[in-house]
Amino acid sequence: MSSRSFEQDLDKQLAKLGREKQPERDLWQGIDYALANEPNQHVETIRRPVLGNKLYLVAATVVMFAWMGWFSFNQQTEKLIGSELVAALSEQHEQQKNALLVSYEQQTALTENWQQQLEDLDQAADAVKAALKNEPNNIPLLKMLQNVHHQQISLIERVHAPKWSHI
Amino acid sequence: MNNQGNVVAAEHKFVTESDLDLIRSVQNGDKRAYNILYQEYIGQVYGLCYRLTGEKMLAEDAAQEVFIQLWRKISNFKGDSKFSTWLHTVTSNITISYLRKQKGWMQKMFNLEDSVAMNEPAEESVGKVDLESYVVKLPERARIVFVLHAIEGYRHEEIAQMTNMAVGSSKAQFHRAKQLLKEWMGYE
Repeated sequence: MSSRSFEQDLDKQLAKLGREKQPERDLWQGIDYALANEPNQHVETIRRPVLGNKLYLVAATVVMFAWMGWFSFNQQTEKLIGSELVAALSEQHEQQKNALLVSYEQQTALTENWQQQLEDLDQAADAVKAALKNEPNNIPLLKMLQNVHHQQISLIERVHAPKWSHI
Repeated sequence: MNNQGNVVAAEHKFVTESDLDLIRSVQNGDKRAYNILYQEYIGQVYGLCYRLTGEKMLAEDAAQEVFIQLWRKISNFKGDSKFSTWLHTVTSNITISYLRKQKGWMQKMFNLEDSVAMNEPAEESVGKVDLESYVVKLPERARIVFVLHAIEGYRHEEIAQMTNMAVGSSKAQFHRAKQLLKEWMGYE
């Protein structure tokens, strides 16, 4: 077949493409929930967001756990190398992750599939850790592991206490 | 149109008086009006999110993100252009940024960007084509460029700005997308 007939066929197919597609589930519920936590943001963009007391407590707990984790982690990891460092990283991350999950226990998540995403990241972390068993001092792999951990923490925070970015 | 859901052909929406009234109500903080606006435009927003992300779940999350940010930013719409055009730009920017956050590190670390083989659809015979199902299977950068250029009508210069890639890269990715589509559509 000639390239010209492909171009014509492609143009024909593009012209037939519809602009709309309906999602299979109702997305409004999550949007409504998120907006309920950000009243009047669109009207007064300069004013800082007004947090409810509960949300404030959760945020404070998260900051405290993160600080405690970071402080103890820094003290521990100064002397650690290789497989001990991997173990310390994993343990510190698990503590931080569990603390976050406990803080958000009573709060409805904005998306339904976040636990699946969390599991996917767990699997990614396991794959990196398996690679680190052979090369425990491989810096890019260690950074990759920290990156996966960071993604998990961000995911938990994002679905429970999103920080809306600018368009 | 395909097995992914209901694709509905729709006319381009102009900023009609009733649309403007609706938008003004939303700008004044009326959440009921916002729900009506959502019902009216979710099909367009989700459709674009789906084509840009290539995944149903990512598209759902991105569409939610769009409507959450839109609530805060709708005051930026002054009514001097089509609302749907403005909304498509907002949707494209938010979805690209969302994809970058979600997938960026995975692709950098595992170099998944170029792994076409993982998603390659079965070759079809000419004349029996479901373009959308091919588009969502394109590699990420090629897909984003193809959707923005061929479907949404952006120029490569605009795409380069939106995606932080060079104009030449945008053109190269578009060429790559077309080569893959050509193959999958049974022309090679």
